[in-house]
Amino acid sequence: MNSFLLRLLRSLRFKTKITLGVAVMLIVCGTGIGLILSAMSATALLEEGKKRGQALASGLAFRLAEPLLATDLLQMKNLIDNVHNQYEDIIYIFLIDTNQNVLAHTFSGGFPVDLLQVNLDNRKAQPWLLSTERGPVYDFNVTIALNEKYLGVVRLGLSRSNLDAQIRKQKTISLITTLAIVSLGIVLALWFASTITYRLNRLRKSAEEIVMGNLDVQAGFSLEKNCWEIMDCGRKECPAHGDARRRCWYLTGTLCPNCSVKEYPLKVENCLACPVYRYNFGDELQDLADAFDVMAITVKRQIEELTERESTIREQQALLKTVMDVTPDFITLQDKNLRYTFAGRAFCEYFNLREEDVTGKTDFDLFATEQARRNSREDKQILATGQPLDKEITFKRADGQRWFHVVKVPVYGQDSTIIGLLLTARDISVMKKMQEQLIQAQKMEGLGRLAGGVAHEINTPLGVILGYSQLMMDDIEDEELLENLKIIEKQTKVCRKIVADLLGFSRHTHSIRESVDVNESIREVITLVGHAFSLNHISICHALDDGIPPLFCDKEQMKQVWLNLLNNAADAIGQDGVIFVKSKRDDEKNTAIFSIADTGGGIGKEHLDKIFDPFFTTKQVGKGTGLGLSVSFGIIKDHGGTLSVLSPIPEEYQIEAISQAEHHGPGAVFVVALPLPVAEQTVH
Amino acid sequence: MPKTVCTFFILLLSFCLFACNSEENPVKVSLDKRQEIISRPQPPALTYAYLPQYSHSESFKRHQRLIEYLAEQTGLSIRQVFPDTFADHITMFGEGKIDISFSNPFIYVKLANRYGARAITRIIEANGNAEFRGQIIARKDNAAIQTIEDCRGKSWVAVDPTSAGGYLFPLGLFVEHGLGLRDFKEVVFSGGRQENVILGVYAGLHDLGSVREGALRVVEDKIDINQIKVVANSKSYPGWVYAYSPKIPEEVVVKIREAMLRLDYANNPEHRKILDTARFIGFVSSSDSDFDPIRDLSKKVGLGLE
Repeated sequence: MNSFLLRLLRSLRFKTKITLGVAVMLIVCGTGIGLILSAMSATALLEEGKKRGQALASGLAFRLAEPLLATDLLQMKNLIDNVHNQYEDIIYIFLIDTNQNVLAHTFSGGFPVDLLQVNLDNRKAQPWLLSTERGPVYDFNVTIALNEKYLGVVRLGLSRSNLDAQIRKQKTISLITTLAIVSLGIVLALWFASTITYRLNRLRKSAEEIVMGNLDVQAGFSLEKNCWEIMDCGRKECPAHGDARRRCWYLTGTLCPNCSVKEYPLKVENCLACPVYRYNFGDELQDLADAFDVMAITVKRQIEELTERESTIREQQALLKTVMDVTPDFITLQDKNLRYTFAGRAFCEYFNLREEDVTGKTDFDLFATEQARRNSREDKQILATGQPLDKEITFKRADGQRWFHVVKVPVYGQDSTIIGLLLTARDISVMKKMQEQLIQAQKMEGLGRLAGGVAHEINTPLGVILGYSQLMMDDIEDEELLENLKIIEKQTKVCRKIVADLLGFSRHTHSIRESVDVNESIREVITLVGHAFSLNHISICHALDDGIPPLFCDKEQMKQVWLNLLNNAADAIGQDGVIFVKSKRDDEKNTAIFSIADTGGGIGKEHLDKIFDPFFTTKQVGKGTGLGLSVSFGIIKDHGGTLSVLSPIPEEYQIEAISQAEHHGPGAVFVVALPLPVAEQTVH
Repeated sequence: MPKTVCTFFILLLSFCLFACNSEENPVKVSLDKRQEIISRPQPPALTYAYLPQYSHSESFKRHQRLIEYLAEQTGLSIRQVFPDTFADHITMFGEGKIDISFSNPFIYVKLANRYGARAITRIIEANGNAEFRGQIIARKDNAAIQTIEDCRGKSWVAVDPTSAGGYLFPLGLFVEHGLGLRDFKEVVFSGGRQENVILGVYAGLHDLGSVREGALRVVEDKIDINQIKVVANSKSYPGWVYAYSPKIPEEVVVKIREAMLRLDYANNPEHRKILDTARFIGFVSSSDSDFDPIRDLSKKVGLGLE
């Protein structure tokens, strides 16, 4: 039963509890006080009634002394009749003298002698309560005496019914008044409870709003007058100025002269005498609501700051990720257990992995055991010593040899201990290749200079040998000797040709530049070699653009270039093939493009970079010197143009004849681009 | 805590119950049981009356002790009776309803002349005299009355036509100064009460009044008697007198006289108390001839004594 009541009480709303509590208290106290007061007033009324009866009897006794002394019966009768008639509740009055004679009375039709038997001694407590046919009657016995001389007695009967009626009436009024006061109290309690619970509900709703994520709440009430209105300060720089939601004593750095620089709640000590505090200070609930609002605003600001920071961090993370993903370098981060915590996109793509496949794994999960063991050994050493590692590594893949520059550095935590390992690796294959090419070019340049010098020095003795051998041939008739001399002459010529080529390569020959119809020079060379090529079933097609203006160049050198390129094409074809020569004006680049394509076996990728190197040849020994293409390259370069090779032949350099050739290889095309004369150049 | 609350409620309830429990036990009496009643006759006794110059109560208070003393000393049963007026006093004496009369000398002379009353004793006033005077009084602020002659044409209030000090003696004084009753604007009587004369003058209802000497002291607790001045005093005449009805035997008169003369104001505290209450200090023996000056005065002012 008790637990049921407790449960019931607990389940009641706070407002109901307050109202119920106050109501019970009011009813108990009101009823108690009502009963007590009612009893007290009933007693007082009764006492008052008795005093009134006593006073009437005493007054009458006083007035009766004279007529009693004078034995004036009429006067006596008149006096007692007068009082008797004056008050309805006086039932009787009678007067007894010292001889116990009833001298006067108010009864008609005899005297009730019973009255002479009761209340005879007025020294006993007065009045006596008599029960009569006319209801309860208070009988008062008052002595008439002068100078303590007993003259007689007045007896007065006062009806108690009237007193009882008055008491009942008074009790009813008390009851109604008590009920009215209790009811008023309950209404006030209800109002009081509503006032309190209204403010508590505001707090609760605000709390719920905060739980829902809405921090823009106001649990307290707006102020009737804000601090800047009370102080009339006009200091807009004060943090409290314009802040209607927070009381100024919650704010730090307010600018009133008496304000403390301390924070809440330490500053409140100074606020106690402040007119603003006195005007706006509320009860504990208002304090709670104010503090709640301040808390909400503070939390909101902190959350906003956190959100802003989070957003900044996210942006920076995205930026970092973008940088990490975009960079072609390999970037990975490993923890001190050498598990990958991050792997850049380049790393993942190179090893054909996904980032989530890498994260949390070790080298043993990702690479071959031997490789993983090597890496692990290195990494552990770095973690142990804190010494960064910087190295270049190379390995071969299907698409060729690759070089990487690898840097491994330890990552230090806030406590200056190593918490991981950062690896960056850059693909330096291209750079390595460039380095090789640079070395090759330098080598070639030195070689060319040496060859030019040697050739220049050899050329004169060769001329002497050739001249003298030809002179001797004129003089010698011995057939055998002549034959030998012819061999000397032939080989000397071969040597002179080699020397001439070497001089050409090193551009030690003099060139004569003039306006040359390059198409015409091509045609001349085709005519020259056409017959010889046809013997090997090699046909030459050409499509020359007549729009190409005469170019400023050395015609002989140009013809040598065409001859070299055509010979090279024929050598590539060997037997049965087509050579397609094409010229075209390219106004976009202000150049004249000349291409010589063949249906030969093409050039291996690995040779494409070296094909213009001097003495590089894939031909059989004795078939070529390896100088033709490098000499041509040098001539074109001297003319401000470029010579390049493409293999296999791209679409734009092909014609039907090539694609329909009987022995059709991938072929190669050499493209010569020469700048158009300035006058012909188009301005873009 | 619940224990405390329970105790509180029990106490509160007990208090309420006690507060409510004030019932009285009535005595059963029938008012309907009626019976005609007849008064018992009073036992025979000597009747004693004091000339009603004061209220009955005052008369009773003053003389009750003396009556009790006389009864005790003489072994007689004595009862005080209360005539309403001076005339009643005379009438009742004549009717035999008063055996011993205490009256002023003027009434005595009337009683003696009419009914054969004889003096027993005279009283000695508080001033030590067995004589007394009448006084003419006016308000102190009444500048118009400074001498007896000034009273001409004024309103005069006297005690009673049969009063000695309050009427007869001042009238004699006026006559001596040539003022008759017709010389006053009006002459009214206060019904035999000295106090009423003083109060009437004090209230300004009358210009002058006449009282016996010593009457002013009687009202000093009621009014400021300093507002009253004594315009003139009459001559001294024999004072108040006890007289007896001729039907009373002589030995009874002797007993009474002796008892009266035995009262010793100076030495007996009991006696002093009796005499203080009666407002005099002793008795002197008296005879009828003591009152001849009164008879002369009455004649002089033209008042009949029959």
